[in-house]
Amino acid sequence: MSTLEVRSLHKAFGGLDVISNLNLTVPPGQRRAVIGPNGAGKTTFLNLITGWLTPTSGAVLIDGQAVATHPEEVTHAGIARSFQRNLLLEDLTVVENLRVACQAFHPCRRVFWRSKREFGDLFEQARQAAEWMHLTDILEVPVTHLSYGQKRQLEVALALCAKPKILLMDEPAAGTSPQERARLIDLINRLPKDLTILLVEHDMDVVFATCDIITVLSYGKVLATGTRRDIQEDPAVIEAYLGRRHARG
Amino acid sequence: MSEEVTIARTTARDDISPAAQVRRATFVLVGSAVLGALALPWLSTSYATTLAIEIMIAAIFASGINLLVGTTGLVSLGQGMFLGLGGYGIGIGTTVLGLPLWLSVPATLVLVATLAAAIGAVCTRTRGVEFLLITLAFSQMFYGAAIKLRLTNGSDGMSGIPRPDLGLLGLNADSPVVFYYYILLVTMLAVAAVWRIAESPFGSVLAAIRESERRAAAMGYAVSSYKVGAFVVAAVTCAVAGILQSQYTYFINPDSMSWQLSGEGVLMVIIGSTTAVAGPLVGAAVFVLAKQGLSVLTTEYMLFFGIFFMLVVAFFRNGVVEAFKSAFRSKP
Repeated sequence: MSTLEVRSLHKAFGGLDVISNLNLTVPPGQRRAVIGPNGAGKTTFLNLITGWLTPTSGAVLIDGQAVATHPEEVTHAGIARSFQRNLLLEDLTVVENLRVACQAFHPCRRVFWRSKREFGDLFEQARQAAEWMHLTDILEVPVTHLSYGQKRQLEVALALCAKPKILLMDEPAAGTSPQERARLIDLINRLPKDLTILLVEHDMDVVFATCDIITVLSYGKVLATGTRRDIQEDPAVIEAYLGRRHARG
Repeated sequence: MSEEVTIARTTARDDISPAAQVRRATFVLVGSAVLGALALPWLSTSYATTLAIEIMIAAIFASGINLLVGTTGLVSLGQGMFLGLGGYGIGIGTTVLGLPLWLSVPATLVLVATLAAAIGAVCTRTRGVEFLLITLAFSQMFYGAAIKLRLTNGSDGMSGIPRPDLGLLGLNADSPVVFYYYILLVTMLAVAAVWRIAESPFGSVLAAIRESERRAAAMGYAVSSYKVGAFVVAAVTCAVAGILQSQYTYFINPDSMSWQLSGEGVLMVIIGSTTAVAGPLVGAAVFVLAKQGLSVLTTEYMLFFGIFFMLVVAFFRNGVVEAFKSAFRSKP
């Protein structure tokens, strides 16, 4: 159970402030959604947390400790993420993708004189990660042959292989069919309750079905934070993002 | 009764998965190749033995390149530099410094590994075309040094590079047959070592880097250190080929470091297959035999070799070995 804390985070590209003085605290086990219109800085925000971008100023902390600045160190610190666009090992099978992801936390990860098949526990961990995301039937299928929805599930499964304290998901439902979306909602809701989740998503049905608290970003600033009801009733949020369809009443 | 046995045998054969069939065929082929290689000096002419030596040295060189190109996805045009450094290393060690061969060889490999780590730390900061060009630049730098330096005897090169002293075994490595078996032993060890590395946990990280560097980093791997590791192993493997090459000809000159040689190594890998262990071996064999065959027919053999290469790429898109595997899998 870990707390994610973002303090006075600022990111500028030249003269353009993409994230401005952003403060956010996600308590242990909370499912927090970050929503906002295109260009609000949601993906930049995730990239800053996970070390893919360096903040101009500010800090990201887990349980009060500053998180390292390189992506691999961030993963080892307990933050794992899925990507907005699938970033998978396309020519490898599902089980090999998951096995390699699990191996990053195994003492054998630098071993070059023994066969990878000698480390059977990694295959077991890979199968477990596949079970979380309902991928066990397609373990031996090369990723390139998977449907788009299955690839989105594998994206999340790869992040789970890191056994993270905090899971960041960048638009996991993007491009999926209604059936795939319903399955994804079910899978997210079945994840361990002590796992802190930060979800960036445009699909409000997914957000409302999976998250307790919602933070709305607009032009790199927090516009509002609250429960589903708070957000749906906030005139500024309705004006900037939600529109009348998702507004309450 | 005999009909039942036939049916049972047929069913048992049908139960074997395609992957198991490929494994069995590979085992038979590798076994036959090893037996054939062991018997070659006794069954063929000395010319064939000489060609086999050249193929095996090229196969070690191509295996080193394949660890970068096929396994890690880094196309280098600088591996000739390490082949040359291997040859010059034992050349300088034995003929200039007067060190025994048993000391010169490990010293050369350690020196090459250290140099490769330093060069790799710079080169692996880049990807794609930039990586190819920066490895080419380093290679040309060492090529230029080999031509200019008095230590390397300039463009005349160094001669008198010794073969191993096998007197304790009652053997003379200057004998073509003994030298053939020496090369065969080193080739089997080198190819097995590269195969083991590619199949290891370390090797699977290299494959992940080939597929997506960003994903490998997101998984928690320090990508640059793995790339440097692959660069060092590939360099040492190419240096082993260089040591054998210089012992084979008793000679080393700057041509061994030329970018053309690096390019030929990449061609061998593409011809054989970047995804199969046997790819570099088969690629090296096809390359050496085609080059020798065409050079007998015409002095303009490079023109025809270019056409040959285009045909191989056109008809065996993933290399000769993968084409063989696909044909075997699709067999009814």
